[in-house]
Amino acid sequence: MTEQRQDILLGTVFAVIGAAAAFKAAAYPGASGGYPMVLGLVLAGLGCLVSLKAFNEKRLDARPLTQHMPRMLLTLVCGALYLALVPVLGFYTTSALVVIALPLVLGFRQPVYLGVVTIVFIGIVWSVFSLLLEKPLPAEIWMRF
Amino acid sequence: MEMIASILSSVLATGPFLAMIGSSILGVFIGALPGLNPVMAIALLLPLTYSMDPLVALAMVAGIYNGSMYGGAIPAILLRIPGTPAAIATTFDGYPMAQKGEAARALKIACWSSAIGGTASAIALITVGPLLARATLAFGPAEYFWIAVFGMASVGVLVGTDAVKGLMAAVFGLLLGTVGLDQLSGVPRYTFDQTWLLSGLDLIVILVGLYALPPVLSLAEKADLSGLSASDLKLDNVRVLWSEVKSLIPTWIRSSLIGISVGILPGAGGNVAAFLSYNATKNASDDPKSFGEGNPRGVAAAECGNNADNAASMIPALALGIPGNVVAALVLGALLIHGLQPGPQLFHQNPQLVGGFMVEMLLTSLIILIVGGAAATRVFAQVQRLPGVLLVPTVLVLMAVGVYVINGRVIDLWIMFAAGACGYFLEKMEVPLAPIVSALSWADGRAEHPPRPADQPGGLQ
Repeated sequence: MTEQRQDILLGTVFAVIGAAAAFKAAAYPGASGGYPMVLGLVLAGLGCLVSLKAFNEKRLDARPLTQHMPRMLLTLVCGALYLALVPVLGFYTTSALVVIALPLVLGFRQPVYLGVVTIVFIGIVWSVFSLLLEKPLPAEIWMRF
Repeated sequence: MEMIASILSSVLATGPFLAMIGSSILGVFIGALPGLNPVMAIALLLPLTYSMDPLVALAMVAGIYNGSMYGGAIPAILLRIPGTPAAIATTFDGYPMAQKGEAARALKIACWSSAIGGTASAIALITVGPLLARATLAFGPAEYFWIAVFGMASVGVLVGTDAVKGLMAAVFGLLLGTVGLDQLSGVPRYTFDQTWLLSGLDLIVILVGLYALPPVLSLAEKADLSGLSASDLKLDNVRVLWSEVKSLIPTWIRSSLIGISVGILPGAGGNVAAFLSYNATKNASDDPKSFGEGNPRGVAAAECGNNADNAASMIPALALGIPGNVVAALVLGALLIHGLQPGPQLFHQNPQLVGGFMVEMLLTSLIILIVGGAAATRVFAQVQRLPGVLLVPTVLVLMAVGVYVINGRVIDLWIMFAAGACGYFLEKMEVPLAPIVSALSWADGRAEHPPRPADQPGGLQ
């Protein structure tokens, strides 16, 4: 997508967010709606300005949104899976899985190196957060039985 | 005098002192790793500091900030890869010096220059900060409002390439700050009947997402599977002559002044300070053509300039409560975490804490001289042998644990993730993230309801 199209889209998205925020703020009672409504309207105005500017400037160069789309998407998917599994499997189990799986997905093929890094890293995180700071983290699945 | 002694004794107590040393070392490591940056490191660190003594927490922020600003010079000199954006100007002469076999010399000059710039900046903070805070005691809501508008507009216009996008980002940040219960009327705004939104969006959750996830995604895209070989990082031991040190003194003075001036201005960061210092030194030189071909003064100017920005950028943040850059916004976040309200009141209500932080900025600049010495730099350079793909999941896990421990809510993880994904695409579309964070940190009740004179010590009774 060209820079021009991206900026038109970007400006439109922010204009819609701003307009929606202003519309919603109009329903708030008294003075509590005034401030967000003004911000929403200003945001909508700036969004329109970005779009108009892009429309006039006609910058037709391509501006890639990713350097490597498949790897970026894989990382996002793995990240989302990781967050979804944290409450199910427990924090340390899921973290160990993602530290092993994500480099493998990205092409890393040194299992011993990866294993050592995983053990050392999870050990450090456990020492700092659970041992030293005593922070409560989602319980491990194998500790629930 | 009693206050100064009290501040020094609290800063030099075991906890803050160890925190300064440990975080300075960690900061140099982080700066040395291309792809990681001080903002990301401090953002990841802040959630950890919830249960800590505020002086220990701020010592860690100061150490990471100063340490990583020097650490960025290591890959800039050895590989022409700036570890942080502020180290771009260091590559101009640092890398040619390394190619001529003078890498260790360049690193030594960078280390000294960083320490000198950081120290000068901390002295400026210690002297100018309290004076500015005293002057702002006379300010009322109208003055605060216009200073805030100036601060937000400066950050929006000066950061990034497009002023309109910068302003749009700042307004978006202010709008995000309105989510939750209105502090005065108690009306819930933009909560969509979700109880977890009543307390508003947590600054640190958004910050970690915006500043930590985009670099992680970039590292994943590059998929560095092997790291660097040991031979690429070989350094010889060298001595820098006294005559050379003497010749660098004018450069250090000039660059320190430029860095401090840039730091005080909202919106301009270490990279601007480094470029301006580099150009000023080049213009003042008898032999400007030697710049870019391995002139040690180029390294000294860039490193001294970018470190002189560090503490100076805290002056408007601490005195006015208006963050001029993202690290300053993070420091304000750290203060808010500990229930402290940034602004002139802070100097009166918690002089020990503000004074302590200023001294910590000074001491961590000096610690760089020890932890950034030639032998230590040789060790720090080795971190670049780590394959980049291993950093991807480890940073992701640190983000998750850091965010989870703030409120103990899984929903915060998703907010952080969504903020990070948005941040990644916004950066690609040249929308600066700094105005969003600066505005959000300032929007924490103070944007809509600025402090009244009656709220301030010495204000209307």
